Amino acid sequence: MRLLFFHTLREYTGTVVLGLDLSSPIPAAGVWVELERRFPGISRFASTTRIARNREYIGPGDLLSPGDEVALIPPVSGG
Amino acid sequence: MAIVVQLVARPILPEDWKLVPDGSEGALVTFAGHVRGTESGNAITALEYEAYAPMAEQELRRIAGECLAKHGAGRLTVVHRTGVVPVGESAVVVAVTSAHRKAALACMDAFLDRLKQDVPIWKIRALPGDERGAGRACPD
Repeated sequence: MRLLFFHTLREYTGTVVLGLDLSSPIPAAGVWVELERRFPGISRFASTTRIARNREYIGPGDLLSPGDEVALIPPVSGG
Repeated sequence: MAIVVQLVARPILPEDWKLVPDGSEGALVTFAGHVRGTESGNAITALEYEAYAPMAEQELRRIAGECLAKHGAGRLTVVHRTGVVPVGESAVVVAVTSAHRKAALACMDAFLDRLKQDVPIWKIRALPGDERGAGRACPD
């Protein structure tokens, strides 16, 4: 799975793109468990961050699969 | 239903968004969002925008389609900048056509609300001094 970070999450992690090896699909919310191991404290962003799978927003219970492109979307501020 | 979406890392030009109403369209509404000289009460010279470009374009197109259909408007063009946008320049321009005024105005209002709510574009920083430069590289 390819994980993309933007804005505040990129600043927090110092990472633009991260590869996560999944042996099987996980619920979207589970990505925070995986990330907390690498970036302690990152879960504080979970309540304000939306998750996109292959460029579409999904819910916390939707599944992420090994080949997915997953983006963590902090509150947007375009316009 | 005609929709044109562009993200550009340069000043927005009239030809990027200009819509010419056809014979069935009696209304053309345009909106330009400009960078103000203050941000959170502090003087700035520019804002820097970042986008998750492939998804932002997809979302803009999806939202445009929904708003045009909901309000019975005709066509929509949107151009949004990325990178550094100096004070006074447009960060976004939207144009909407419709047969009658109210449909285009309602479509424009709804589209801008949705843009600010759902499209993965961020103001990532305000530049306080003469710090204008190239935009930050983004994934994809």
